[in-house]
Amino acid sequence: MPLERTVAYAWLELVSSMTTPIEVDAGLPVGDVVVLDDATLVARAREGDVRAYEQLVRRYQGPMYRLAVRMLASVGDAEDVVQEVFLTAWRQLVRLHEDAAFVGWLYRTTTNRCLNVIRARKPRADVELDQHESSGSAGRPERAVETSAQLAALVSALDQLTGEQRACWLLREVHGRSYDEIADTIGTTSTAVRGRIARARAQLAEVMAPWR
Amino acid sequence: MAVNRANEDYLLPCGRDVEQVWQRLDEIEAGRADAHELDCPYCRATRESLTVLRDLARELVAETEGPSLDLTGRIMAAVRAEVRRHDLLPLPTPEPGGVRVSARTVAAVLRFAADGVHGVRARHCRVSTTDTDDLAMTVEMSVAVSYRGFALHALDDVRARVAAAAEAQIGVRLKRLDLILDDLYDA
Repeated sequence: MPLERTVAYAWLELVSSMTTPIEVDAGLPVGDVVVLDDATLVARAREGDVRAYEQLVRRYQGPMYRLAVRMLASVGDAEDVVQEVFLTAWRQLVRLHEDAAFVGWLYRTTTNRCLNVIRARKPRADVELDQHESSGSAGRPERAVETSAQLAALVSALDQLTGEQRACWLLREVHGRSYDEIADTIGTTSTAVRGRIARARAQLAEVMAPWR
Repeated sequence: MAVNRANEDYLLPCGRDVEQVWQRLDEIEAGRADAHELDCPYCRATRESLTVLRDLARELVAETEGPSLDLTGRIMAAVRAEVRRHDLLPLPTPEPGGVRVSARTVAAVLRFAADGVHGVRARHCRVSTTDTDDLAMTVEMSVAVSYRGFALHALDDVRARVAAAAEAQIGVRLKRLDLILDDLYDA
């Protein structure tokens, strides 16, 4: 066997009928730093390229986690949702016809999983608020206390909204998704979404009154 | 914006509603307040609350807090557990028992070869052996090209590199390569 081929085999996933199959990541050699676009990664992941999928996970687990943690006010539940969402996405990639639609699909699935978790929860009294310090005020120690108290107030005000109102407000105001996309996610019209966001905004603003 | 039912619950005593105040926030900050907005205490109070809310929303947008560091590992372990190993291609070997390689792995090698051409990114790649010759393969590959850096000869380069990688790195002759340019990317 020529030497060059032997070397190449070392990083291939080999399946010999005489040995137990070993799983080795197929893909680019270590040290590759090219940042690939979503559509390329999705096309590769759909055909079983685990490394391409890992790049998508690393790229989008943060925003999905931040959405889930604000939806659910619980770090543990948020991580469970994110894990399920990415495993489901891997299983359903073959059914995603447009490669560029991946992010929208992630937002839709994450939102719906969160709404399901909320519906399955016991009455509100059991829900523990899990408030986060704002990382945005680092370096501004004087404002830090006030800002985190404001954020704490906002977080608990968010918890007073219905799950769908909270989803609409977060998707629009924090994640910048379009009204049409949010409507599609919640299963309603974009006019209804605008209405829900307006109502959410008015309720939240009322809670913010002491800080103006 | 028309007052709809959703906003009627949030009418201010002056007759405007919270959403109207929100819509006008940027205009007023740009110094284009109307006479009512300059004087109305209800509008001013609402505006101040909305400004606090808007600033907090911006803080949420700027948040970078992520899940625990091992979450990617947990997700990928679950993903790998589900990877199906099928579509095995035979490789040339003088040893008894045979050696097979998964089509997925061959596809990864060929995509990497195509990626080596400037302005080209390989996407879909299907590898199969030919009916007549086990040690020759046919490949269907789609590529996206950079619309700034694209040159037609790049596809010839892709063809040459993919053929070379098939023989040198996998040891199987490339009998046929169907190359499809099906997208552009912005870079």
